[in-house]
Amino acid sequence: MKPTMFRPFVISSLVVCLTLSAGARTRSRYGGALRIETQSDPWRVPDGIARRLVFDGLTRLDDSGVVLPELATRWESQNDNHRWQFWLRPGVRFHDGAALTPAAVALSLSQSCAKQCPWTGLSAVGNSLVFVGDSAMPQLPAELARSMYLIARQHDAAEPSGTGPFRVTKVTNEVVSLAANNDYWQGRPFVDTVQVEGKRGLRDQWLDLSVGRADMVEVPAELLHQAVQDRLMVLASRPTDLLVLSVSSKGALHDDQLRQAIALAVDRSALFNVIFQKEGEPTGSLLPADLTGYGFLFSTERDITRARNYRAGVSTPPLVLTIDNPDASTQLVAERIVLNLREAGLNAQVRPASSQPTADLVLKRIHLEAGDAASGLDEMLENFGQKVPEEKGDPEALYQAERDFLKTYQAIPLLYLPRALAFSERVRDLRLTGDGTPMIADVSLDGAK
Amino acid sequence: MLAMIAVTVMVTVAAVGWTVSVRVRRVFEKIDRERTADFVGQFRREYQRRADSVALSLDRMAASEAVTRIAFDLGHGGDPAPYLNRAAALAQEYQLDFLEIVSPNGSIVSSSQWPARFGYKETAVTGANRKPFLKEESLPDGSSQIGLFAVRSVRGGEKAVYLVGGTRLDREFLMSLPALVGTQIFLYRNFNAGFNPHGLAGVNGDVDNAAPYQSLIDQSRASGLDSNAVVYPSGNLEDSMDVTAIPLKAEDGHVMAVLIVANSRRGMVEVQQHIKAIAYGVAGVGILFAIAASLWIAARVSRPIEQLARAAGEVANGRWETQVRVGSHDEVGLLADSFNRMTSQLVEQRDRLVQAERVAAWRELARRLAHELNNPLFPLQLTVENMVRARHLPQEQCDEVFAESTATLMAEIANLKTIIARFSDFSKMPKPQESNLDVRGVMQRVLALFAPTLDQRERPIALKTEIATDPLMVSADAELLHRALSNLVLNAIDAMPEGGTLIAVALRKSNVVQIRISDTGTGLTPEECQRLFTPYYTTKQHGTGLGLAIVQSVVADHHGTITVESIQGRGATFVIELPALPIASEAHA
Repeated sequence: MKPTMFRPFVISSLVVCLTLSAGARTRSRYGGALRIETQSDPWRVPDGIARRLVFDGLTRLDDSGVVLPELATRWESQNDNHRWQFWLRPGVRFHDGAALTPAAVALSLSQSCAKQCPWTGLSAVGNSLVFVGDSAMPQLPAELARSMYLIARQHDAAEPSGTGPFRVTKVTNEVVSLAANNDYWQGRPFVDTVQVEGKRGLRDQWLDLSVGRADMVEVPAELLHQAVQDRLMVLASRPTDLLVLSVSSKGALHDDQLRQAIALAVDRSALFNVIFQKEGEPTGSLLPADLTGYGFLFSTERDITRARNYRAGVSTPPLVLTIDNPDASTQLVAERIVLNLREAGLNAQVRPASSQPTADLVLKRIHLEAGDAASGLDEMLENFGQKVPEEKGDPEALYQAERDFLKTYQAIPLLYLPRALAFSERVRDLRLTGDGTPMIADVSLDGAK
Repeated sequence: MLAMIAVTVMVTVAAVGWTVSVRVRRVFEKIDRERTADFVGQFRREYQRRADSVALSLDRMAASEAVTRIAFDLGHGGDPAPYLNRAAALAQEYQLDFLEIVSPNGSIVSSSQWPARFGYKETAVTGANRKPFLKEESLPDGSSQIGLFAVRSVRGGEKAVYLVGGTRLDREFLMSLPALVGTQIFLYRNFNAGFNPHGLAGVNGDVDNAAPYQSLIDQSRASGLDSNAVVYPSGNLEDSMDVTAIPLKAEDGHVMAVLIVANSRRGMVEVQQHIKAIAYGVAGVGILFAIAASLWIAARVSRPIEQLARAAGEVANGRWETQVRVGSHDEVGLLADSFNRMTSQLVEQRDRLVQAERVAAWRELARRLAHELNNPLFPLQLTVENMVRARHLPQEQCDEVFAESTATLMAEIANLKTIIARFSDFSKMPKPQESNLDVRGVMQRVLALFAPTLDQRERPIALKTEIATDPLMVSADAELLHRALSNLVLNAIDAMPEGGTLIAVALRKSNVVQIRISDTGTGLTPEECQRLFTPYYTTKQHGTGLGLAIVQSVVADHHGTITVESIQGRGATFVIELPALPIASEAHA
């Protein structure tokens, strides 16, 4: 099967060119209220869209995955990557007026990862932070760019305050109201306010966009084609979301053969061609092919005969498949997988996750933030509770580590999907980061005074 | 009579009640049948209407521009993927519960009911454009639904795509049926062989207790024919239902579902219970009427007859002067009058008989007196005549005759005195001085008195005794009882001049003490037995005829009885029965 990952790039390029050409006519203007609608909770930890607007990280990644300074101006490693020192940007203040101090950053980071931090020790030294680990932490600057390590100052009774381009003015039900941070260290954003309405149905989002009640809405991968057909202005990322089937190695599926039968029974081509309308890419790997270069080594082909053979010798009770954060497309994928499994002789049923806390199979959509293979593998393996091997400096070691894990058939990668947005004509200079996050601080609105 | 009238009333009322109840039941059953038939007719019309609606929707859909475009695209080898969600939209637009768009090769392009089934084969497309049919439709959640389906083909060039659409036969379908008050409708759906209690649903959802319907549903599924039965969903008779099961079949004839039409029998049961209550009431009133009637009849007929019966019983007990009241002039009154005349005549006859017996007794007394007195008088006469003649004899001879004669006179005078004394004793029978005594002691003293003389007789008499070992206590005068027993023993000895056996028995029988004195003499004739206790009657040549009369008088004074049993030539037995004292009294004595 030929991956068609270039389609979103083509679309986004066209859209961005149109946008840029439109923007070239006039300069960006300050002011205006930007209205964003999403299906998810804007405050969802760690990657809710509002969090990205309110908080900054110590580092950030550019479009190609290169680590850039943010709240940390520079950093250096010592002792063979077992010790890292990050120097904070001076003069930065939280939205509540408190100064950004190493102690405040250390407290925020410690609260972010609790006992599962990659480091074992974190201390403030002057205007810097020192991270110490029992094992080497070669990817620490890239990891600190992830959403979960955004720096927040926690208050007892109010929303946490950050150092980002927008500050929280109000949170009611599913609506988060933000205002421009006039003292933002990178300069004030163009729009005055941003209103993010979460848990908004897709149909409603598109309707709101069409009637001018929203400026920016989500476009699922499976509807990208339709969005273009409907002449919406769409911006899509490279494939950043992994659709993966997590397989329990306990209970009914403790037998490796059964898990392998499941892996062989799944028909990725049907998911890719029909459900996702050829958007994204089928994958047998945990990482996108363009990130590693070795993705083709993991087969995506279905082999129902072998699946039946593996299934033949093993008896199993009916399996339960749940969906992590279900939506229409993942529900369809889950039901399709159940049909695939039935063909292999495995009886499975899709159940709500709330009714089945310990399911045999869980369909997950995992967002990949990392911009390089090593960090990406760290990020992915963490999602499956796996410890990251130290020796993965070169692609061969990375491949070996990933292959060793996938051989356990506890994770069956299915598809990599892009993230996409549709936006109104008055939105200018909208760009996406490497992981598909919209860069709202750079956006300006036509008609703003 | 009361029972007879009551039974008659109850049987009559029960028969009438049963007849009315059966008639009511038949009427209700006929109404139920008609209601069921009406409903089934409405169901079939609604079924056909829905089938027509499905077919019409598919026809309109097939003719629409959207479907035509899809058919054209797919018919020319187009990519089916963009149409993945089209079935859901079309189903909503054309108000169908099920819709599948099927490619020319039979693969599902889009499914509204199970979107993930794209690419799988749909077998229902064979024989497209045929009449609507029932089909089982599997759903993603593992359940199945029954649908009324139709298939339409849409040409898009040389090849055709198919539309397989349908509507559910479910609770909403049941709700759309115009059920009458008191009629419930259920639909049983189960695609397995066995009975599934969760497969039965009504307009209000699943039926909690489906078990009562199982046999009817099984019967309908097995036979493929309508079945009818009375079902009792609860223990209450009022909740019973007259249920008809109508199988709904697929094209191949197998039963896919069973429509249940249940008519409540509450009305019929309540009417029957009402009839029963009325019957009970009528029966109760009838019984009361019977009681009143029987009382009236008793007052008019039974009571006089009962009085007559009681009076007859009193007559039988010796109170011959008993009379009954004559209260009417009907047959019963005549009977009472006749009874009164009869008892009057009986009393008169008894009086005459007593008078006659008195006369006879006096005659017998006179005869006995004459006989008794005559016997000593004749020797007296001869002796006096000898003494008169002896005056002429020598002194010595005269003295000798005088001496003999005076001796004879004295003897005969003594004999006369004895006779007179006996009569005097009988007339002066003393009142018994009763005390608790053991009959065995009295008996033994009597036998001890006579036993020595029995062996010394010229013709000896053997003595046999059978006396109880336990005390035989009675309340009696010991002296009088001794005299009575002595008389009986003497009579027995006198009855055996040629010798024989004297048998004395004293036993307790139930609540009496029985004394039997038997001899083996010549016995008595029946006539003698009858007259034996008459005073002054005797079978002996020299008896006064007072012995047994005295015995009977003593026994009667002790509230006892005396009888005689005899077979001529084989002796006689006198039987005395005296009331026995209770055991406690015996022990006390």
